[in-house]
Amino acid sequence: MSKNTVSNRFRTVDVDEYDENKFVDEEDGGENQLGPDEAEVDSLIRQGNLMEALQAVLKNPPINTKNQNVKDCAEGLVLKVLSAFKSSDVEKGVQSLDKNGVDLLMKYIYKGFETPSDNSSAVLLQWHEKALSAGGVGCIVRVLTARKTV
Amino acid sequence: VKRGRGIWRSVWEIFPLSSSNFAFSSLSPSDSDSAPVPQRRACHAAGRSLSGELLLSGGGAPQQARGGGPVSPCVSVCVRDSVCFRVFDHVNAIPFRSSKELLLQPVIISRNDKEKVLIEGSINSVRVSIAVKQADEIEKILCHKFMRFMMMRAENFFILRRKPVEGYDISFLITNFHTEQMYKHKLVDFVIHFMEEIDKEISEMKLSVNARARIVAEEFLKNF
Repeated sequence: MSKNTVSNRFRTVDVDEYDENKFVDEEDGGENQLGPDEAEVDSLIRQGNLMEALQAVLKNPPINTKNQNVKDCAEGLVLKVLSAFKSSDVEKGVQSLDKNGVDLLMKYIYKGFETPSDNSSAVLLQWHEKALSAGGVGCIVRVLTARKTV
Repeated sequence: VKRGRGIWRSVWEIFPLSSSNFAFSSLSPSDSDSAPVPQRRACHAAGRSLSGELLLSGGGAPQQARGGGPVSPCVSVCVRDSVCFRVFDHVNAIPFRSSKELLLQPVIISRNDKEKVLIEGSINSVRVSIAVKQADEIEKILCHKFMRFMMMRAENFFILRRKPVEGYDISFLITNFHTEQMYKHKLVDFVIHFMEEIDKEISEMKLSVNARARIVAEEFLKNF
């Protein structure tokens, strides 16, 4: 008889861990992603240059960081910029973004829905509609299937 | 039973086959079924343009301008996207959560902090949970009872869950089996319709409760 039948430690081994095809999330280093620059964005908002503010706030998205604070900060900033836009300018704002920008915007919009404050949902719904017409259904699917959220 | 009738009628519409294999065959399907469907579709198409005005006018008023407008296209697109699934496993991926790669990001769409819709998708199913607006005690009670009424009959409802997800009032679980038997677009339309109707139903019920209470009180006090 083989030696294995004596001990039964093999019963407690988690076989799934050793499966070659096991899906592991890629964890690349995100330590240097600090999120959009707060000072820059604030100054742009105060100047009234909302298009630039939008571009600036969508730079450096904190996608890979494990630091929740950075993500929350970024989310707050984006919400500020989005609320600062007038309703008629929303469409122009969306047009000024490229495809990746629209995807990123959509991710922030859905993130913003999770913590509704006074008027944020109405603003976000407006932006959602315009972003949808620009990005199409694929944009939403990309948000749903993204493994790394903003 | 008058309450919830609008919802039952649209449940019937999901099934492509005859009403014989449907539990609620007591409802006559003949009365103007074709009317609600095109109306809703037109509403969705026009919803895009409507939503602009609705948002501008309805931002402040809490009771009247409860526009299902802006939220519905939003939710419908999301649900429609997540309803594309295939047969994978007999085990529903969402409640069991065994493998990370099978799950989509959960997405919340909210109108304010009381009303929201949570959509969790996976490779073979999607769970849609709705938090209904409940402004005062009586609406809370009515909503709770109404949801309980439906959830107790969840077996006949097919896509309803017996228990809502934490923090929400009602949950639907739509699996690949359901989409094989029922029209996908109708399922999506049903969920949207449900969301829009639920507010109306609860207001109606509240009005009728108040009216009855008034009549009863009048009759009672006539003795004095």
